[in-house]
Amino acid sequence: MSARRTLLPDAPLGETFAEAFANLRAQGRRSALALLGILIGTASIIAMLNVGHMAQRESLKLFSDMGVDMLQILAVPTGEAAAGFPREAVERLPQSDPAVAAALPLATGRGPVRSSRKQTDLSIVAMPPGLVRLARLPVAEGRSIAAIDDCGFGAVLGHKAAEQLSAPGAAAGVGSRVLVGDYGFTVIGVFAPVVAETLDPTDYNNAVFVPLSCARRVLPGADPNVAMIRLKPGVDGEPAGQRIIAALARPGSSLQAMNAQRILQTMNAQKAVHSRMLAAIGAISLLVGGIGVMNVMLMSVMERRREIGLRAAIGATPRDVQALFVIEAAVLTLVGGVVGTLFGLLAGYAIAVSSGWDFGLAVWTLPLGPGVAGLIGLVFGLYPAITASRLDPIEALRAD
Amino acid sequence: MLRLSNIHKAYGSRERPVSVLADVSLTVDDGEFCAVLGPSGSGKSTLLNIVGLLDRPCAGEMVLGGTTISHDSAQTTARLRNRLLGFVFQSFQLLPRLNAWQNIAMPLMYRGVPRGERKGRALEMLERVGLSERADHLPSQLSGGQCQRVAIARALVGEPRLILADEPTGSLDSATAGEMIDLLGALNRELGMTIVMVTHDRDLAQACGRRIELLDGRVVADSAAA
Ligand SMILES: Nc1ncnc2c1ncn2[C@@H]1O[C@H](COP(=O)(O)OP(=O)(O)O)[C@@H](O)[C@H]1O
Ligand SMILES: [Mg+2]
Repeated sequence: MSARRTLLPDAPLGETFAEAFANLRAQGRRSALALLGILIGTASIIAMLNVGHMAQRESLKLFSDMGVDMLQILAVPTGEAAAGFPREAVERLPQSDPAVAAALPLATGRGPVRSSRKQTDLSIVAMPPGLVRLARLPVAEGRSIAAIDDCGFGAVLGHKAAEQLSAPGAAAGVGSRVLVGDYGFTVIGVFAPVVAETLDPTDYNNAVFVPLSCARRVLPGADPNVAMIRLKPGVDGEPAGQRIIAALARPGSSLQAMNAQRILQTMNAQKAVHSRMLAAIGAISLLVGGIGVMNVMLMSVMERRREIGLRAAIGATPRDVQALFVIEAAVLTLVGGVVGTLFGLLAGYAIAVSSGWDFGLAVWTLPLGPGVAGLIGLVFGLYPAITASRLDPIEALRAD
Repeated sequence: MLRLSNIHKAYGSRERPVSVLADVSLTVDDGEFCAVLGPSGSGKSTLLNIVGLLDRPCAGEMVLGGTTISHDSAQTTARLRNRLLGFVFQSFQLLPRLNAWQNIAMPLMYRGVPRGERKGRALEMLERVGLSERADHLPSQLSGGQCQRVAIARALVGEPRLILADEPTGSLDSATAGEMIDLLGALNRELGMTIVMVTHDRDLAQACGRRIELLDGRVVADSAAA
């Protein structure tokens, strides 16, 4: 007999599978209970992987318009005086810093804005013309602020701001007048609604936009307090942010850098915590399930001692007996794995729907669930199978 | 066919061994129908289990079907059992989940015989033991005598060199027991099947060509030696 013949069971594997199915069916409810742990374990792992997959896609979507190369520097006052940094220093950044592709200074704040009939508090953004392109602000009506405007008292309204300033019969739109602080502006344009993005310095829809050179009239400080910077592709945002903060630093202002990469990392880290928790639940469930399967298989071995003894007497080798029980355990967990995968996908779908995400299937998780579950069956089925193969056939045949 | 030389078997601890078989030597030729007789506890089952490769002797040599038995590897002895031996038990030992022909076909599975062929050979054996019309019955739907016929068919299906039966009539009434002995005798005469049967019923043993008597683990009488 060759070594191969000694290592493998003599009975055909297909037949052993058929026997395993029949035995499990005969055990009915007990098999079903053993499945439960495996089912929950597989379901949570599959749910975790698919939710992670979808969350990744969603977080990338947040930056899909501006991209992940954005860096924002924010000045926060440390004392009474308004915070800010020199406009020229920001505008010079593309020349002075090798990591910067483009840089725009903005001055932002809040204040009362009045139209002929209405008054409300709005965000005020003093902007250079370039913001329209950088933030992809769509002009719905009129035009945006141009370089030649200087502080010519032309203003553009965000979509919601225009609505808030409108009254029946007195729509705020191109040609109407608004009072920002104490200064009167002529509305030269209205932006269409924009989807808020993570790195927006303010809610563009609820803002009134004036030329940057008007900042000193309508905002507490004359200098920009926000710098929106596009980094060159592939540049690490962290050191660049530190460098730029150092270049723009000024007494009385504390500067903070926010970069899209870092925000993504933070979100991913949070997600990793969730993932790890789900993974832990999954692993524990699988472990408990595996032990449950082992228990059920051991009970089955004890109950079927006579059968095992008989099989040994009629020529089943120890490998044959091991194969019978290992395959039984694997079939059991495999079924749990398949059902668990379905439940996991269902859970992933439910989470997607409740989070308002598009459902996306991570196809590679499909074989993973049953695969891992089957493996658990093989591992935890091994001990009962070896126990079965080591029974003394004489005693086993005598068992009742 | 079978040669036992100076077989010893003891149970219990190493310090206080309880001898069950002491210096048993005997030879069984092809085509013999042997009865092993003796009172309860005389070591009949132990002897049969050793011959059946289910138990190993403490000392002595055994040659079965031309192979000297070593008990070196459980895999190898299992294959020898499958190839050389057929067992008939007092309590039938049929699997309740399987029907008659499936029970009979089991030994063939461990030889890798394909399913279709297994069924054909199992049905042949059923006919041989006179139960053709019960092929699809479960053991629970069969009488004791019918169950033992199925068990005998299972012992036969692999065309073994030797059939070992430990009190095959022990669970049957005397009429059915007689039928069973007749069946075994017929297999012995018509197929030349070698059979070693343990019994404590002297009347039934009369049907056997040879009677070996055990007492306290020793062969005390052997009709072939007489
Ligand atoms: N596994 C065992 N452990 C200890 N003693 C045993 C064992 N099996 C059998 N014996 C003893 O060996 C003796 C012979 O038993 P056995 O061969 O079954 O007798 P028989 O079949 O002739 O009634 C008995 O005294 C029995 O108690
Ligand atoms: Mg006995």
